[in-house]
Amino acid sequence: MRTALARLCRLLLPRLGSAVLVVWITATVVFVALRASGDPLEAILGGPGSQAGPEATQRATEAYGLDQPLIMQYLAQLWRIATLQFGDSYARKQPVADLLAENLAPTILIATLALLLAWALAVAGLLLAATARGRLGGLVRAGLAGIETVASVVPQFFLGAVLILVFANGLGWFPVTSTGSSPAGLVLPVVTLAVPIAGYLAHVLHGSLAEADAAPFATTARSRGASETRVFFRHTLRHAALPGVALSGWAYGSLLSGAVVVEALFARPGLGRLLLEAASVRDVPVVVGVVTVIALLYVAVMVLAALLEHVVDPRLAVARAAPGVVGA
Amino acid sequence: MTRSAPRSFATLIAITLGALALSSCASPDVTESKGGGTLVYATGDAEPTCLDPHVGGNYPQALLSTQYLEPLVGRTSDGTITPWLASAWETSEDGLTWDFTLKEGVTFTDGTPLDAEAVKVNIEHLQDPETQSSTGYLAVEKIASIEAVNPSHVRFQLSAPDSALLESLSQQWTAMQSPAGIARGMEENCQAPIGTGPFVVEKWTPQQKVTLVRNDDYRTHGPEADHEGAAYLERIEWRFIPDAATRAAALSSGEVDVIDNPQPTTIVTADKKGSGIEHINAPRPGSVNRIELNSGQAPFDDVRVREAFIRAADPAPGIESLYLGTTARSTSALASTEPTAVSNKAFFATDPEAAKRLLDEAGWTTSDADGVRTKDGKRLTVRFPVSTNQSVAAEQSLFEQIQANAADVGFEVILNPVDLSSWYGALGANEYEAVSAPYTKVGPDVLRILYHSDGIVPAPSGYFANHAQLRDPELDAILDQASATLDETKRAELYADAQQRIMESFTVLPLYDQQNHFLVKGATGVTTLGTVATPTFINAKLGDS
Repeated sequence: MRTALARLCRLLLPRLGSAVLVVWITATVVFVALRASGDPLEAILGGPGSQAGPEATQRATEAYGLDQPLIMQYLAQLWRIATLQFGDSYARKQPVADLLAENLAPTILIATLALLLAWALAVAGLLLAATARGRLGGLVRAGLAGIETVASVVPQFFLGAVLILVFANGLGWFPVTSTGSSPAGLVLPVVTLAVPIAGYLAHVLHGSLAEADAAPFATTARSRGASETRVFFRHTLRHAALPGVALSGWAYGSLLSGAVVVEALFARPGLGRLLLEAASVRDVPVVVGVVTVIALLYVAVMVLAALLEHVVDPRLAVARAAPGVVGA
Repeated sequence: MTRSAPRSFATLIAITLGALALSSCASPDVTESKGGGTLVYATGDAEPTCLDPHVGGNYPQALLSTQYLEPLVGRTSDGTITPWLASAWETSEDGLTWDFTLKEGVTFTDGTPLDAEAVKVNIEHLQDPETQSSTGYLAVEKIASIEAVNPSHVRFQLSAPDSALLESLSQQWTAMQSPAGIARGMEENCQAPIGTGPFVVEKWTPQQKVTLVRNDDYRTHGPEADHEGAAYLERIEWRFIPDAATRAAALSSGEVDVIDNPQPTTIVTADKKGSGIEHINAPRPGSVNRIELNSGQAPFDDVRVREAFIRAADPAPGIESLYLGTTARSTSALASTEPTAVSNKAFFATDPEAAKRLLDEAGWTTSDADGVRTKDGKRLTVRFPVSTNQSVAAEQSLFEQIQANAADVGFEVILNPVDLSSWYGALGANEYEAVSAPYTKVGPDVLRILYHSDGIVPAPSGYFANHAQLRDPELDAILDQASATLDETKRAELYADAQQRIMESFTVLPLYDQQNHFLVKGATGVTTLGTVATPTFINAKLGDS
């Protein structure tokens, strides 16, 4: 029991350390970038092009602490992040926490669904490739390899536009826009996000699957008369999945950034659109809030992925606990 | 040139798909016209950060607030000022005292009466620095004091005569709101301002929609209303759909009934016979879309170099091909919708040979290895920051064509696509020789904002309107005089003189009217106001007639 706890700590602590580092670096970059590109005052005073009088400018400068030395402003911002007190939006005059609360769920929803769908698509493709036999099998495998490549490079805005054209306008199966969480409205945005990730995943899994397929345990299973499907799910996939799980942490991060495109394309609410709008008017508190939340989410998913790796392959824990005892 | 090229290509694909989407569903549903129902409007303009157009004051706020706020006066499409919330007005001889009579028995949708006191509260709200008003603040700048003579009469004392006052008061940015609504404070008033309009703000769900419900007691009909009483529609759902192809697809699939900011290809498809889509072309008033040359620093401090650029730019073929005939080349500093606009083709005729001669005369006689003209070792460089938030893909492509045309006579034009904030930053830092900035204001007084030397001094936020940095005392005098002249004929003459001087300065290259198109499918009776060309739904019904 104690060793399990110690093992968990060993797993989590360095990642929490890197989480703090990630958030700190992100906060610093955001601070420098927003400051280098201009004065946050204009966002406070009604957006770019506002012609606020000197009185209003003076008042806002004091109210938001913009007359303080830069280093004090920087420290103040770090403190706000550390305490998760993001203050009020300059542009919307609403608490940032409210804006985050409204927009977090829709983004997590599509990103999570997209990751699950990407796995399902990748595994389905691999299963098809593994079980197809003979000449047809060769064709299927070549076809899948092609789809994999195309899927992983297709730009999301293009894919989304084509999906809208075919499935919303042409066939009328799904709505074009996707407010709220109506299931039909979720389909096209989730597919748009999932397809490129599925392509990457399949590509990575492909290599490790081939390796596992040639391993003695697969041969043994086959010699005992196991079907290809059984070999795939029982033996080879489990082995091959490891790099895929590791990749999923990264994939989730890219899904969160892909949300910017998809949320704009399908007119969905979410963190991506919030960030885009806030950045374009230099709404510092909102940008800082969104970026911090995304960084934290990313780190959380990386931790989750690491834990999952251990579930999928218990040897890892042993290997890390006593290096050199077990080879890969 | 080419940070924007891949993006333009991407946009091109997207708009093509959008147009295909429209054409694929061209057969109109034929249903009975009837009252009631919910009209869905999809805007591509930015989502307002505050629904009260007194705060800040930009076009998206005007667009939306037209549904729930109304101004003191209206304006017809030919420029005539008409009564609205004010039924009559009088001006003193010296032009310093204005008396407005208010329509009787009007109440805001919260029950607060529209009286002289309410007007006073509104003007003071615009003038209060706490409100953070920019557009409305400028519009009522010359009102020194406001007096409620009696409930139905309000008197403005001006600090100087202002011939643009009625035009300013016709704009959505100075529209009247319930004093009780304003008293709730900015945060609450931003969420749901209270007016006298045909609809009432029910709820704003940021990044998704604003829901508006019918004002059943509506009685303050503006110039566009075709009937007494309330609007036919029960509700309007005002959605924010930033992607143009998505908006077009949503229109064609029937998810939305009206869209704004369509791409030229989408307009062309809609204009085809039998598309079932109505196209409303309603250019914005005030200035045209134009390129302004910074006369405040080298090389454009030399009028010959400015003229050379304008002679070389040749925008007409680009406008024709990129906008697919949906808009025409302008040769005026003012929008074609302004009755006082003066056009003069001669100033903008393309002549590359003349351009080369002018550059020779100005001393830009040598060229470097890149074919860029030089003078005393300096290259003939034109920095041109482009706001990607304000210039659509077609316009950015047009700038690229102008860049190529100007290069033929030896200009090096550096196009720099940036977001709105960086764009204002570049202007504030004087790091530009050419720029394209939209400005919407009702009436020719926009010339004073854009070309009076007062406009060179940046506001505290860094913004200034005179991007051409024209410093011409004679022009200043004409603009001041026009602004103080209440005689319409005299005023028009003065603005004609002002436009002549502006064109002669070769600081302005007009391109086309500010694009403002609406596509309607499955609804009738959608019209636009003669002020800043925002749509009104007072006459609208669902279903094709």
